[in-house]
Amino acid sequence: MSAIGAIGELLSQFDVIAANPKAQLEKYVAGGKKAIGCFPYYVPEELVKAADMVPFGIWGAEGTINAAKEYFAPFYCTIAQMGLELALNGKLNKLSGVILPSMCDTLRPLTQNFRAAIPQLPFIFLAHPQNRRAPYGVEYTKSQYANVKKSLEAIAGKAITDGDLKDSIRVYNESRAARRKFVKLAGQHPEAVSPMHRSAVLKSAYFMDKADHTALLTQLNAQLETLPKSDWKGSRILLSGILADSRNLLQILADNNMVVVADDVAQQSRAFRLDVPEADDPMTALALQFAGQDYDVLLYDPELNKRPEYIVNLARENGAEGVVILMMQFCDPEEMEYPSLKQALDKADIPSVSIGFDQQMRDFGQARTQLQAFADVLSAKR
Amino acid sequence: MSARHTMGIDIGSTASKCVILKETSDTSGREIVSKALIPFGAGTSGPARVVDQALADCGYRKEDMAYILATGYGRNSVEVANFEMSELSCHAWGAHFLFPGVRTVIDIGGQDVKVLRIGKGGVLDTFVMNEKCAAGTGRFLEVMARVLEVKLEDLAQMSAQSTERVDISSTCTVFAESEVISQLARNKNRCDIINGIHRSVAGRVAGLARRVGVVKDVVMTGGVAQNSGVLLALENELKTDIVTSPLSQYAGALGAALLAFRKLGSLEA
Repeated sequence: MSAIGAIGELLSQFDVIAANPKAQLEKYVAGGKKAIGCFPYYVPEELVKAADMVPFGIWGAEGTINAAKEYFAPFYCTIAQMGLELALNGKLNKLSGVILPSMCDTLRPLTQNFRAAIPQLPFIFLAHPQNRRAPYGVEYTKSQYANVKKSLEAIAGKAITDGDLKDSIRVYNESRAARRKFVKLAGQHPEAVSPMHRSAVLKSAYFMDKADHTALLTQLNAQLETLPKSDWKGSRILLSGILADSRNLLQILADNNMVVVADDVAQQSRAFRLDVPEADDPMTALALQFAGQDYDVLLYDPELNKRPEYIVNLARENGAEGVVILMMQFCDPEEMEYPSLKQALDKADIPSVSIGFDQQMRDFGQARTQLQAFADVLSAKR
Repeated sequence: MSARHTMGIDIGSTASKCVILKETSDTSGREIVSKALIPFGAGTSGPARVVDQALADCGYRKEDMAYILATGYGRNSVEVANFEMSELSCHAWGAHFLFPGVRTVIDIGGQDVKVLRIGKGGVLDTFVMNEKCAAGTGRFLEVMARVLEVKLEDLAQMSAQSTERVDISSTCTVFAESEVISQLARNKNRCDIINGIHRSVAGRVAGLARRVGVVKDVVMTGGVAQNSGVLLALENELKTDIVTSPLSQYAGALGAALLAFRKLGSLEA
């Protein structure tokens, strides 16, 4: 089979998994595995795998909010609202527990609403520290992760040994490396990997055992590496935002010949840009990984401008001609950080556009108009 | 027919516009030979009727057009078009044709507000659009006119007769409607209320305009540019002169017809 044929076949497998999380969950449960719902974000999934369970990413879903309206005002981020909606509609019944972090002013009330609304599902609360780097911050993260570990051990009915956790960390570091490599290769081969395929490959990691995902992705990366250099004539963009998995929005990027050469998306690169470091104590290693996280709207940055500078540099290093910001409606951290990001991009003469969206969006006409015009702007600057 | 002709069709949410251009040998290089407007937009008979009317007015047929370019909200469903482009790019070109010194375009249409920064030669440099909200759009004015029981085209003239300041504080169309009703219930003069509505629209649009930066010459396009009350309120809010043209509502279609010539050029290159 040709490389393009093999790539197409592998991408189809990722597409099917990304579009059918329910089937994946049922498959794992039918196989005797317990699955733990991991809400956004910075959940130490390594602990779940070390307990011989499957971490299952819950980043809301596209749909209509009905039942969750009882718990939220309309001006709440749809990821939180749809996460609760899924649970209230019984879509998370096959999970054996959930981990809910409380990193922003929307996720925090979600944790409490979820606990009250879904009492039948074992609930693990996770509070990350604002001051994550200082020794006391690392100790705090460790203590929180210890709580998570204890709760997971109770659900799994087995103790997590240091050996289990070290094995799990190794699997996750391999997964992160494979995903980082894929992001580079996808940006280099737009003819083979559309924005929709790119998203499906990265999203499917949330619904698969990471070792299985890495095995499939390693095959895909190997095939992509055999392709000749692309002479792509379209626009090279950097994507930024919390989510970038809307097929409608991604189709508009494809329709306007845009290739994603890099991203600053929470569900994508923010989740795998930093490995867990080597350390004798694996719990310390996990806490040190969180301490090292940076350039994120949800993480306290005493220097204020590091994230805008990081995104400007990321765009330049990857040859991005422009930045598309997918602005999740009612995401206060993203919206409040936007002016400083826009200012830095303007100063660096990198065109950008902000597209408002949420998981209830049905009409993409305005987004299409904006992205089509943005492609014209990029083309005129070439 | 020796000179080449192009057609630009702008299908908005509330109106369809069509412009036919002829290639000329003078400095502008283009001349408007026909234009038409039908007050029905995407999903209606407007798109077909506006094309027929523009052709009938100048005696040409569709086949006489060297290139047809569609733009606007309903651009994807114009079957006669050879190509479609975003109305943001088309408004930039149209405004530049009408006012060569333009640097900022404020376009208020039926359901969108757009502010464009124009670079050299009419090229779109950067832009911002309203979020999914009717506040500040033509639809907002339509709703208010209905509540006040006045014709849309009478708003400007009535606003000019205002003698007392009435503020419409809400930026939400639904809540602003309630606010207008309560002002009527307090026997406030309709002219004063309309003036307040215009200032409310101007405040909303000015906030958007400041995001891209307002640089002179500032041009207003779109259907709402015909309302001198909004134009005046916007000038006061932004503290700058704003120019417009009787052709302002055709700026998108005009830009589409101009870009059609560029498309022809690139096809021939």
